[in-house]
This record gives sequence, C-alpha cells and structure tokens, in this order.
Amino acid sequence: MNFDINLNINISNFIDTSTLLYIALFSPIVGSLIAGIYGASPKRIGIGIIVSSLIFLSFLASAGLFLHLYFGGSIVNVRMMDWISAGDLSVPFGFVADQVSVTMMLVVTLVSTIVHIYSIGYMEKDKGFNRFFSYLSAFVFSMMFLVMSDNFLGLFIGWEGVGLCSWLLIGFWYERESATWAANEAFIMNRIADLGMLIGIFLIYWHFGTLQYDEVFAKVNSIPVDIISMIAIFLFIGAMGKSAQFPLHTWLADAMEGPTPVSALIHAATMVTAGVYLVIRANEIFALVPEVGYFIASLGAFVALFAATMALVNRDIKRVIAYSTLSQLGYMFVAGGLGAYWIALFHLVTHAFFKALLFLGAGNVMHAMEDELNIMKMGGLRKVMLGTALLMLIASVALSGIYPFAGFFSKDKILEVAFDTHNYILWGTLWLTAGLTAFYSFRIVMLVFFGSARYKDFGIHPHEAHGFMLWAMTPLAVLAIVAGLFEHQFIDFVTKILPVYNFSEGIHEIIGQLVMVTTAIAVTGITIAVLSNMFKEGLFTNTFKSNFIYKLLDNQYYIPKIYDEVFSKPYRELSELFWKSVDLKIVDATVDGIANCILSTGENTRGMQSGNLSIMLRLMVIGITVLLISAILYSYADSILTLLQGVLN
Amino acid sequence: MNHILTILIFFPALAGLMGFLVDKKSIKPYVVSITLIELFISLYLWYGFNSAEIGMQFVEQANLIEAFGVQYLIGIDGISLFLVILSTFMTLIGVVSISDDTEDLRELLLTILFLEMTMVGVFVVLDAILFYLFWELSLVPMLYIIGAWGGNKRVYASIKFFLYTFTGSIIMLVGMLYMAYLYYQASGTWSFSLLEWYRLQLPLDYQIWLFVAFFLGLAIKVPMFPFHTWLPYAHGQAPTVGSVILAAVLLKMGTYGFIRLSLPLYPDATVYFLTPIAILSLIMIIYTAMVAYAQKDLKQLVAYSSISHMGVIILGIFALNPEGITGSIFLMISHGIVSGALFLLVGVIYDRRHTKMIDEFGGLASVMPRYALIFGIMAMASVGLPLTIGFVGEFLSLVGFYKYSHIMGIIATGTVVVGAIYMLSAYKRTFFGKVVNSENSKLSDLNLREYLTLIPLTILVIVLGIYPKPILKPVDESVKAIISLMHQKAVTEEAKKIIPNIKIGEEARK
Repeated sequence: MNFDINLNINISNFIDTSTLLYIALFSPIVGSLIAGIYGASPKRIGIGIIVSSLIFLSFLASAGLFLHLYFGGSIVNVRMMDWISAGDLSVPFGFVADQVSVTMMLVVTLVSTIVHIYSIGYMEKDKGFNRFFSYLSAFVFSMMFLVMSDNFLGLFIGWEGVGLCSWLLIGFWYERESATWAANEAFIMNRIADLGMLIGIFLIYWHFGTLQYDEVFAKVNSIPVDIISMIAIFLFIGAMGKSAQFPLHTWLADAMEGPTPVSALIHAATMVTAGVYLVIRANEIFALVPEVGYFIASLGAFVALFAATMALVNRDIKRVIAYSTLSQLGYMFVAGGLGAYWIALFHLVTHAFFKALLFLGAGNVMHAMEDELNIMKMGGLRKVMLGTALLMLIASVALSGIYPFAGFFSKDKILEVAFDTHNYILWGTLWLTAGLTAFYSFRIVMLVFFGSARYKDFGIHPHEAHGFMLWAMTPLAVLAIVAGLFEHQFIDFVTKILPVYNFSEGIHEIIGQLVMVTTAIAVTGITIAVLSNMFKEGLFTNTFKSNFIYKLLDNQYYIPKIYDEVFSKPYRELSELFWKSVDLKIVDATVDGIANCILSTGENTRGMQSGNLSIMLRLMVIGITVLLISAILYSYADSILTLLQGVLN
Repeated sequence: MNHILTILIFFPALAGLMGFLVDKKSIKPYVVSITLIELFISLYLWYGFNSAEIGMQFVEQANLIEAFGVQYLIGIDGISLFLVILSTFMTLIGVVSISDDTEDLRELLLTILFLEMTMVGVFVVLDAILFYLFWELSLVPMLYIIGAWGGNKRVYASIKFFLYTFTGSIIMLVGMLYMAYLYYQASGTWSFSLLEWYRLQLPLDYQIWLFVAFFLGLAIKVPMFPFHTWLPYAHGQAPTVGSVILAAVLLKMGTYGFIRLSLPLYPDATVYFLTPIAILSLIMIIYTAMVAYAQKDLKQLVAYSSISHMGVIILGIFALNPEGITGSIFLMISHGIVSGALFLLVGVIYDRRHTKMIDEFGGLASVMPRYALIFGIMAMASVGLPLTIGFVGEFLSLVGFYKYSHIMGIIATGTVVVGAIYMLSAYKRTFFGKVVNSENSKLSDLNLREYLTLIPLTILVIVLGIYPKPILKPVDESVKAIISLMHQKAVTEEAKKIIPNIKIGEEARK
C-alpha cells in the first residue's frame, strides 16, 4: 500500500493534473495541424513520426490521469473558457477526466498510437501520406473532445468532429467514386441521427436549464418521467447513427472504402462506440426509463444477430469484419439497455483491442494481396505471413469468446445479464449469435490463411508486412489475450461512478452451466468453420448459393437497395419536381403572371386614352356612376342587408 | 467623435463623388482604402460601444420636416452594431475581389461605395421615413450592378429584382404612414421616430393590418417563400461582387427589419401570426434546400441554400426568446460571411472556366487543392459543423424555436440533414472523382487577390466559431431589451404568455 500512496503523491507533485488533461486533449490537434501544413506536399516520413509521437504523448498523459484516478485521486474537471452564451444558455469548453472518460481516453489513445505507427508503414507509398496523418490526428482530437467534454454540447462538438473526420477518411481516396459516395452516405446518415441528438439536447436544455452533465444528472429525479423517456429516446437516436444500429447501419459496411487503418481506428475501436459511450455517460437518464432501456437492448440483440448473419456469407474480408463490429456493438447495447453499464464499457474496451487487431491484420493481408479483398482469392497465406496469421488468429479467438481471451469475459457477462434479467429471448439471440460469430471469424481465418494457395491463379505475389508494423500490433494482441483477466480491477475502478450491477442470487448457481453452454456453441461454430474448410473450401456450394436465404444475406437483406429506391431516388425526383414544376412553373410563373397581367391591362386599356372627347366623356360618366352607386351601397349597406334579409325571409 | 455615425453613413458616398476625379489607374487602390477606412471607423464604433448600457448609443438627432415629425435620428444598439460592421467588412472584401480588368471599373467601384452608404444607413437610422429612404435607395446601385455588369439575362433579372422588392416596400411605406397617423391620433403630434413608436400600445386588430403591411415589404427582401423567386435570377445574373453583397448584407435588411420594426411595434400581431410564419419558414428551410439539391448551376445552388438558411434566421427571430433571436442575429452575421465566401468561391472557378455548371467540373481537389480546402471549410460552415461560425447561430435559433413547438422544432432541425445533402453532393461532384474534363486539368490554384479575400473570411469562420462571445454578448443584451419591451407592450394574454418576461439592466443585476 505504501507504494500506492507514494505513486499518488508522485503524480500530483510531478505535474498538475489539469495540465495532463490539456496535453492529452490538445497534442493530437497539434500533430494534425503540423501534418496539415504539409498536406499537399510530397510524403515526409518525419511527419508520420512526429504525429505518432504526439499521439503517444497524449496516451502518456491519459495514462498519468488514469494512475491519478486509480490511486484514489479526485476527478479532474476544468473549464477552459466560455463558448456559447445567449439568454439563459451558457455552455463552456469544459472537460472532465473521471473513471469513465479516462477509460475511454486510454483506449482511444492506445489504439490511436498503434494505428498511427502502423500507418507509417501502411501508407508508405500513398501520395496523400501527410494529408492522411493530418486527418487521422484530427480524428483523435475530436474523439478525445467527445469523451472528455463535461457537457452535452461539448460532446456534440466531438460527435460532429469525428463525423467530419470519418467523412474525410472514408473518402480519402477521393478519386474513387465508391469512396466518396460512401463518405457522403456516412455523413448524411449520421446527420439524420444527429437530428435526434440535437432534439435531445434541446429537450435537456428547456427542462433542466443547463447542459452540464453533473447539473443535469443531479436534477433527473425532479423531471417528469415522460420527458426523461423522450430525452432518452432522442439521445439514443443519435447513438444509433454513430454506432450504426439498424436501420441506420448501412453506412458502416460501405465505410470500408477508407484505408484499413481508418477502419481499425474509427470504424471498429473508437468512433462507432461513441453511441455506447453516450448511453453509459447518460446512465442516470437511461436508468430512469427501463422501457427505453429494454427497447435498446432488444434492438441491440436484433442487430447482433442480423449483422452476424450478413457476415456469414460475405466474401469481402473487410466487410465481414465490419458486420462483426456491428454485431458486437449490438452486444454492448444489450448490456447498456439492461442497466449493466460497466459491462457495456468492459466489452467496449476488450472489443476495441481485438477488433482493431483484426482490422490491422486484414490490412496486412490486403497489402500482401495487392489490395484484393475477396477471401475466395486468398488461401494458404500462413506460409508467407506467419506473423499476421498468428495475430489474426489471436484476435479471432478473442472475438469468438474462448477462455481465457478477453472477449470471453466481457461477452459472457452480457449473456449472464440477459439471463439474469429473465430476458431469455435476448439471451437466446445472443447465444446463437455467439456461435455465428465464432463461425464467421474462423471462416475468414481458414479461407485466408489455410487451404490451398488460390491466389496463385490470379498472379499475386504476397509478402509479409514490415516488421515494425507487426510489432506495433503486438500490444493489441497481448491485450486481446490478457485484458479480461483484469475484470475485477476494472469493476472496482469504473463503478466508482457507474452503478454496480448486482446479479441475483440464483444466477451464481447456474453460472457454470451458462458458461459451458456459451463456450459450447462458440466451439461448435469454430469446428464447423474449420472442418468444412478442410473438406471443401468456401463451404458454400453452388446449389447453396442459389438458395433464397443465401441471396438475401448476400444482398444485405436488400436494405441498401430498398433505401435507394425508397429514400434516395424519390428525394432526388422530388427535388427535381420542386424545382422544375413548383418553383419555376407555379411560384415564379405566378409572379410573372401578375406582372404580365398588369402590363397587358395597360396595353389593352391604352386605347381608351385616345383623346376623343366624346368617348372620354362617356367613360367619365360611367366612372362617376359606378363610384356613386358604390358610395350609396357602402353608406346604406346595413339597411340594404336588413332589407334583403326581410325579402328572403 | 460626436458625429461618428453620420461620418460612417456619408463618408463612402462623398468619397464616391470624389472618386470621379481620381485617375482610372489608381481607382481601385483609392476605393479599397476608402472601404478600409470605413471598416476602421465601424470597428472604432465597436471599441467605443458600451455593451452594459441599455438603449441606443451614439445617438444623433436633428429635425428634418418638423411639421410631420420627420427627424434625422440615428443610433445603434448591439444588434445594428454588428450588422454595420458586417456591411463595411463585406464591402471591403467585395471591392478587393474585383479584378482590375473589369469593364467600366471606376463606375462599378463608385456604385459600390454608394451602395455601402445605403446599407450602413438602413442599419443605423431610427426614423421610419429615413429607414424607408435608405431601404429604397439601396435598390438603385444593386439594379445597376446587376443590370450593367451581369450575365446574359441581366436586364430581366435586374428589373424583376427592382420591381418585386419595390412593390413590397411601397406597401410597407403605406403601413408606416398609417402608423404615424395612429401615433398622431394617440399623442397629438406627428412622429416617425421608432423610439417614439415603441411606446405606442395598439389594439390587436390594428396591429394585424400594420404587421401585414410591414411583413410584405420585409418578407420579399428576405426573401421568404413564396416571395423568393427573384433571388435566384438576381444571383444567377449578378457579377460576383453583386452576389456577395446581396447575399451577405442586403438580405439581412429584411430580417433586421423584423427585429427592429415588426417585433417591438406589433408584439401581439407577431404572436398572432407566429404559426403561419413558422410554417412558411419550415417550407423555406426544407423545400428550398431540396430545390438547391436539384440545381445544376453551382451559383444557383448557393443562392437557394441562402434562402434555406434565411428560413432558420426567421424561425430564430420568431422564437421570441433571447436564445432564438440572439442566435438568429449571429446567424445573419455568419451567413453573411459564409455565403459571401461561397459566392466568391464560385466566382473563382467562373473566372477560370466561364461556366458554373457542376457537371463541367469534377476532380478539382487534385488540381486546386487550396481552393478545395477553403471551399470545404466554407461548405462545412454552411452545413453548420460545430466550431465553425455556422453552428453557433443555427443551434441557438433552433434551440430557441424548439421551445415554441416540438413538431415544428423537429422539422426545422431537419435543416442539418437537407443542408448536408445538397452541400456534400455538390462538393463531391465538383471536387472529387477523376478529372474528366481536360480543360480542368491545368487550372491554376488561388491567386494573391483571391487569397486576400478568402483568408480573412476563413479565419473569421473558425475564430468566431470557437469564440463567438464578443459578438453574442452585446447582441444578447440588446435582444433582451427588445423582448422586455415586447412583453411590457403586449396587450393580449397569449402574447404575454409566449414572450418571456425578462429583467434587464439594473433589475437583472439585483
């Protein structure tokens, strides 16, 4: 214990905690700006190194804050300056490092550091090398902003910031039509969700009078429950966009157009978990409305299964992993929705490690295969890239949830919660999904690294990635193996501010059976994948491929197509209609019509002004008569009306 | 500096007259320095402005037509202060953006100086007749700018612009005269002073008619749906500098008029017409954003996007709470900067290619990376990304309006979606993809003159997005004063209920 106290004193003495917080937050943006200055100039390896070091610095600062909190230090909360103030609304740039945000900061900066270093190798031949690092660091800054803000609008800054960086990075290779299309799709779909998020923020402001977390959460019990549930629903709509929950999920798979390090960092480990973070952060709000929580959990379970089924048949290595991410986010929402916030955060953390690892491994494979993504064209790659094969195998085992890998601990906890709350349908869905997860994970491993070297037919000469890239990935692999073992320390740490989830008594007795059942289906999934690939590569025979279900899954349930037909096309057509028919032909034509009417009245009546005295006099008499009659009618209007009424009656 | 506002109004016009004596070669430096001096005078105004003080500052008063109470009454509060600075700043930017080889350069520059006088005039006068005078006078230089330096259909566009807005303002003039008559009946003396008019409490049915008369004049200027069709023509035909000033400043006269005239004069009628106006604004926001999406001409797209954003401004104004109105004024300023910049950016590409059709471009990001960067920043500001100038006003306007109606608030917030759709798709079609048109492959990136105009705007977009307080604070104080006045004046129960009772000045500090 002496050691603990010493360390505590050391950190506080060594450096001011608010300085640490600022270093953690701002060093990424410094890196981004440095790289941005050289954005249009040719590659400089130094840029990559400087930027990566700055991210690492941010990681060190986050680690310092973590140690500070871990050894009993107080929560760090700073207010930098005012941002928006009008009327009664006052929003500062305020940042907080508490147990939850520090956990997120550690994950974000750790994965970011690794991805940055990895990218130095991955992007070495790209002409947009400097630009890439500028965007990537800007993303880290936005993400840190998102998790460190101490108010909802600050979170929204980060929320939109990561959206912008995601747009820039998905569309990084902007000459590709598919990439820029996917970038716009992601941005616009997220904006639809942001609409919900903004409404949630408006509601919070008008009912709480503030947007600061601590002030809002202190008041939640004095606000009517129906308002709270509206707030929860709208905030969750925001979360659905960022975390790509159904029906706003299609952008995530298309986002795989971006460079693979981006997929690892943004579309697996960090940004897409922002929605889960929001639910965890606002747990005081969500905890009050269990019905909304139940909806979140149900949607989460549905997405888990739904995405996993799509992952079963896809032939694009990155898309399979993307669907897997979607599915795992569903797991997190089940935990969050059922009130087990620390478990949601736990799965978020472990998932970040093994999923980033999986993606980086996929990046190595892609590089080796000269950007080929189709797993049917790979096979037997373990012979040329053993390191990558090993790393991806570790990640896949962790993802499948095999003891003692990280995924086992966090995923199993979610299943236990579902069982414990008597949501057996949710449990069953997740249980089935666990099997599917194991299956598709090993389907990839088998098709890519084992079996015959099909790539030879396509004239591809694969090679292993740079050594330093593999070394950079190693910490993730280590964490994917051991992170779960720190479960108890994790609970103690985060439940200082998150509610503790208390399992019921009965569950302890059957917990052993539950674990067995879950592990059994995972092992079954792996076995099927391995065996089927041993006997027949690709598993799916041609007859199977003509099956209706296969087609349905292969076309992503036809949802992208439906969206295109139901939303995109009609929107475009309606816009055209509004412009060409309504705006030009009705609104504008009316204006011109009135103008022309006045003009033609003038033209037509011009003949009257002929100067012929007798005609002029006649017209004058008619005019005077009309005026007189109207004057009489107007003055005696009342009596005439009574007269008329009398006649009619 | 007792007459600083008078100097501010008439300095550009006098300098413009002198400009006829200036040599043709040195006319541009001359006009640039005039507008620069004018900008400094307006900044000095900000320096001398005391935001803690309620009411008008730098007031000057002189009788013009004593019998009818027409006065030379000028003064500013936090609201007009920043619109004045916006006018002087955007005029300077506009003048700098004009290239030296423009035909009849001298006449164009002097017309702009004359236009500057009318713009500053509108924002500082506090007498209805003077307001009307400057309001109408501003049409004349614009008519010339479009009609003489415009595109192929410039005559049609300029006449349409002139007649349409003129018709609206004539009706507003009738309203003003009737208002003065009512004031005469109530007090026994004639006056056109807005400050006097503010004290007049009118019954609702009078307010309704007067509100409608003012509304037509103001709504056409904004322009509100369905009175907006003159704007795409005007923008489509106007030269770049004309579009910049039109979008950045002239449209703001309409929204400024709502805050300065309609709201404080007719609080009950404002509440009475709140829902119909809100519905018109919603149509403006969604419908024109969709029309913008359908455009094939980049400049028309920016023009329609302008209308869509003006819809958010109107909604913020009719939120009738400090959050909304302060937000809408900030949005006026930010929209002035962003739309001005977007029109400049369209001008850049038009100068090089002599076309504005989006389909002619594609892949410009690789040919003109710096241009693409600045365009991207402005597009994001237009979309309302946080930490750009566009977010602050949009957020405040929407949060303010949301208090009034849940459903309409949600529809209005749809602007964040529809705005992103047209802006991003236009950006994608212009800058992304491969360079297919060989004419685009050798385009030069921004030149010095273009940097001089675009860099200050870019800096403002980011700085004011991060730190909007210097503007928000004085504006907020003045807005609270107006709302407090409205609450006190209101005669109907409903208006008293909707317009919050805000304490200002000494009371607020207690």
